[in-house]
Amino acid sequence: MGDQEKLVIMVTHGPEEPELATIPFAMAGAAVASDVDVVMGFQGDGCLLVKKGVAETVTAPEFAPLGGLLESIVELGGQLLVCSPCVKSRGLSEDDLVEGTEIVAAARFVAEITSATNSLVY
Amino acid sequence: MTETQIQATEVLDARGLLCPMPVVKTAKVFKTLTPGQVLKLIATDRGSVADIPAWAGSTGNELLEWHEEGDTFVFYLRKGEET
Repeated sequence: MGDQEKLVIMVTHGPEEPELATIPFAMAGAAVASDVDVVMGFQGDGCLLVKKGVAETVTAPEFAPLGGLLESIVELGGQLLVCSPCVKSRGLSEDDLVEGTEIVAAARFVAEITSATNSLVY
Repeated sequence: MTETQIQATEVLDARGLLCPMPVVKTAKVFKTLTPGQVLKLIATDRGSVADIPAWAGSTGNELLEWHEEGDTFVFYLRKGEET
C-alpha cells in the first residue's frame, strides 16, 4: 500500500442546497469504501455541514441521508478539515463541530491538494 | 455458476439503501472477512449494478456472480488476498 491513492473533496455548499451538499459525501463514501485516503475540506456554507446536528437534517432525493454518510466516512478513516475564517465568520467554534473535525487555514488545504492523487470541488 | 453453487460466509441485506451505502456497507463487512470468504449482497439500488463490479475491481476483490431476483440485485463477492 505504498502508493496509496488520496482524494481531496472540497465542499462549499451548505444544507440549503441538499443535493450539492450530499454529492461530495457520496463520492467520499465511495472513495473510503474503495480504500482511497479521503480528505474532505469544508469552506463557505459547506462548514455548516460539520456543525453538530446539521448533517442529520440533510437529505437529497435518491441519495443516502447525509448523517449516515458522514458517520461512515469518519468510521472508514476519512478526514474532515474546515476553514478557520469560514467557521469564525459563522460564529462557530471547535466545540460546535462534529468530533474529529480539524480547523485549518488555506496553506493546509493547499498542502492536502498538492499531495493528492486528485481533487474535486463542489 | 448459479447462486446455489456458491456458499456465502456472510449475507448483507442492503435493500432500501441508496447510493453509495451498498458499497460502503459492503466495504465494512469485508473488513471482517478473511481472504477467500464470500459475501452475498442483496441490494435494491440500481446503481449497485455498476458500483459493485467497479468496487470489486478497484479493491482487489472478486465479483463471482450477480443476478436479479424480482426487484432486488444479488451479488456474490469473494474477498481477495490483499484487502
